Amino acid sequence: MTQLTPGSPLPEDAVPGQPGGPSGVATAARPDEGPAARPAAGWRLLLDSPVNVVSAVVLLVVLVVALLGPALAPYAVNAVDVPAALQPPSGAHWFGTDDLGRDVLSRTLVATRVSLQVAVVAVAFALVVGVGAGIVSGYAGGWLDTVLMRLVDVMFAFPVMLLALAIVAVLGPGLTTTQLAIGIVYTPIFARVARASALSVRVEPFVQVSRTMGTGHALILRRHILPGIAGPVIVQTSLSVAFAILSEAALSFLGLGVQPPRPSWGRMLFDAQGFLSQAWWMAVFPGLAIFVTVLAFNLLGDGLRDVLDPRQRSLLRTRRLLRAHRRAGVRP
Amino acid sequence: MRRSPAPRALTVGLAGATAGLLVLTACSGGGEAVDLDGGASGAAGGGEATGPVLRAAIAGEPDQLDPQSTSSYFSFEVLENVFDTLVEPDENLEMQPALAESWETSEDGLTWTFTLREGVTFHDGSEFTAEDVVYSYDRIVDEELSNAWKFGSVTDVVATDDSTVTITVSAPTPNLLSSLGGFKGLAIVEQANVESGDITTKPVGTGPFELTDYTPGDSIDLVANPDYWGGAPEIGGIHYTFVSEGSTAIAALQNDEIDWTDSIPAQQLESLEGAEGVEVGVTPSNDYWYLALNEAKEPWGTVEARQAIAYAIDRESILQAVSYGTAQENQLAIPEDSVWYTDYSTYSYDEARARDLLAQAGVTGPVTMDFLATSDYPETVTAAQIIASNLEPLGITVNIRTVDFATWLDEQNSGNFDLLMMGWLGNIDPDDFYYSQHHSQGGSNAQGYANPEVDRLLDAARTETDEAARKDLYAQAATTIADEASYIYLYNPSVIQAWSTDLEGYTARSDRAIRFRDVTLAQR
Repeated sequence: MTQLTPGSPLPEDAVPGQPGGPSGVATAARPDEGPAARPAAGWRLLLDSPVNVVSAVVLLVVLVVALLGPALAPYAVNAVDVPAALQPPSGAHWFGTDDLGRDVLSRTLVATRVSLQVAVVAVAFALVVGVGAGIVSGYAGGWLDTVLMRLVDVMFAFPVMLLALAIVAVLGPGLTTTQLAIGIVYTPIFARVARASALSVRVEPFVQVSRTMGTGHALILRRHILPGIAGPVIVQTSLSVAFAILSEAALSFLGLGVQPPRPSWGRMLFDAQGFLSQAWWMAVFPGLAIFVTVLAFNLLGDGLRDVLDPRQRSLLRTRRLLRAHRRAGVRP
Repeated sequence: MRRSPAPRALTVGLAGATAGLLVLTACSGGGEAVDLDGGASGAAGGGEATGPVLRAAIAGEPDQLDPQSTSSYFSFEVLENVFDTLVEPDENLEMQPALAESWETSEDGLTWTFTLREGVTFHDGSEFTAEDVVYSYDRIVDEELSNAWKFGSVTDVVATDDSTVTITVSAPTPNLLSSLGGFKGLAIVEQANVESGDITTKPVGTGPFELTDYTPGDSIDLVANPDYWGGAPEIGGIHYTFVSEGSTAIAALQNDEIDWTDSIPAQQLESLEGAEGVEVGVTPSNDYWYLALNEAKEPWGTVEARQAIAYAIDRESILQAVSYGTAQENQLAIPEDSVWYTDYSTYSYDEARARDLLAQAGVTGPVTMDFLATSDYPETVTAAQIIASNLEPLGITVNIRTVDFATWLDEQNSGNFDLLMMGWLGNIDPDDFYYSQHHSQGGSNAQGYANPEVDRLLDAARTETDEAARKDLYAQAATTIADEASYIYLYNPSVIQAWSTDLEGYTARSDRAIRFRDVTLAQR
């Protein structure tokens, strides 16, 4: 926790309300001094909230489990031992065993990587394609904008799961398909977010000036537009990862995602559904893993939005100042 | 002979030969309707019905109610009580008179003459005659319905007079009776009912119950047929609901909201046993489940490689995991209770033996195997995971591919698999068990097995009229088939049903036919 101590009541960058509109835009306008000073400030604001800190710690743990999963697992993840099937949680099997006698703890741990990998790859795909399309659309305008955005509208018109199901149905179930399907489904939202931001940045005087001075489109996109949209996109990424984990779980729960015997949280729930009355542990632990991870991503996403949204940000700063004053014994 | 399986779902017909089979699965969840309270009272619409109405919960909804066209077991759970066949299997699966009162075979075995029961009427009042039999059989053959293959040796079906039908065959056909009466897919239908198209929703039969109402997504109501040739049923009617969720069906049975159900997952059987007011029927069935290796793909064309797999799998674990001890292990297809049973137990779980055989087959490096499983029959996915775990130490990596059953059939028929698991059900005659699966010209020989000696035995057995000699031929053929691992046979599952103790006179049959005509039900 980075609470301010009375000794350092005011960090140098904690001056509220930078003039000149959206903070992201301001950053973009002064690329030289921005990146060094601002992230530190945002970071500290983010960690100001205990909810954000807990979420971050949870996600860190999830990440470590994802990276080390198989090494942490006490049993081989696909080792079938039918005589030991459906054992309740015990010292030997902390999370019990499933219908084929496999260790639920080991499978839950190993599934972390699969679930996270699907979510991250899918969102990365959506991010790259969506932001690319969004920026080009917003910056270029004209017929290209119209075509791309109508395409996005069409994709938006489909319910997310229906579109993902259709893609899986065409390409056949599997890990790669699942990533692709979820990636495609989440692309339009990134395209919209990026386009909206790009539109507002495009008309800013500094962009116009830059253009007049003969700066190339590519450089303007990289220098001005991209940093300008970073905030909303980061928030969207965090939220989308949460939803992507849920989508993967849903697809796998329908038997269309990750294929057995490879475990993913959703697949484990699928396997558990026939045994709810006899073996609650088969469903509860992977369910809990999904719940905790998705909640952490969501809360952190909310936290990021508060920090990156200029209005929220000044509010946070004011609160922080007030708190600092109170600690220092100063009545505002 | 019906393709595949599982107490809750099945398709009828030759998987190999039939395109576009419609399969209803029990686990689909959608469209399930539970009308557990109101049902009984509203069911009996007919004026004559006086007895209590039986409330039966089946595991899924019929796709349609035309017995000759449907391939859904859920349809037959209803239609078994609405239609009749010329002959029908009794509890020992021996053919007994039904619409045909008697029959005789000519000396040369090429002409069968059936004498029909007189005074039988369809539910709409029209009279049943020999013309109806001719029409029904012609329809199956002419429209190439899924059971057309059962008429393979039949050259002619003629109505000699109103109550006589003569069937001519090209070669002696000892299993003609089980072909014609094995199940209600060969039902005698009414021409007007077919031509109006009503048969898919409001079929008219000659059976013990008349279908009065079908509410899609909700229920089907039958009313007792007072003019039934076998005597009017004692119960007033049957109210069918569709409950795919096993726990729901079990709870409904225990709360006396239904009287009968077959929607019982094997793993939940334990929770029912000893329950008050509930009777559980677990009967070994004539279905069988097997593994097949694609012989067109190396190394599985080599006998030793296939035998290696037969030794490498842990049958006991598979049996336990898919059936919770309700199934019976069998290394051939025909179950122990059948008169056609042959004792055979060559294979055992023996990793060293499997390793030797693989080496003999010339398999040295690691092998990747494509296991074709289907989510519509979850036992295939469960067994696949055990088999993957069994084969791993042998250097065989099993990639499990889970697809829906329609895709599964396509993939099987185009030979796009290394290993698959499936079941056959509704088999009665040994020809049903072996010919189309293992004859080199068989319609369901997707694994590509060809052995001239087995062909010869199966051909000879088809026309052998001496029962002992016939049994011997099948025993030889089956033993060779299993020795060479054309199929790796796993087990015969059980029929699992449960009913209220108020219901008397009901038995769970090994052919899965659900017959309610002779039951009685205590008045509520």
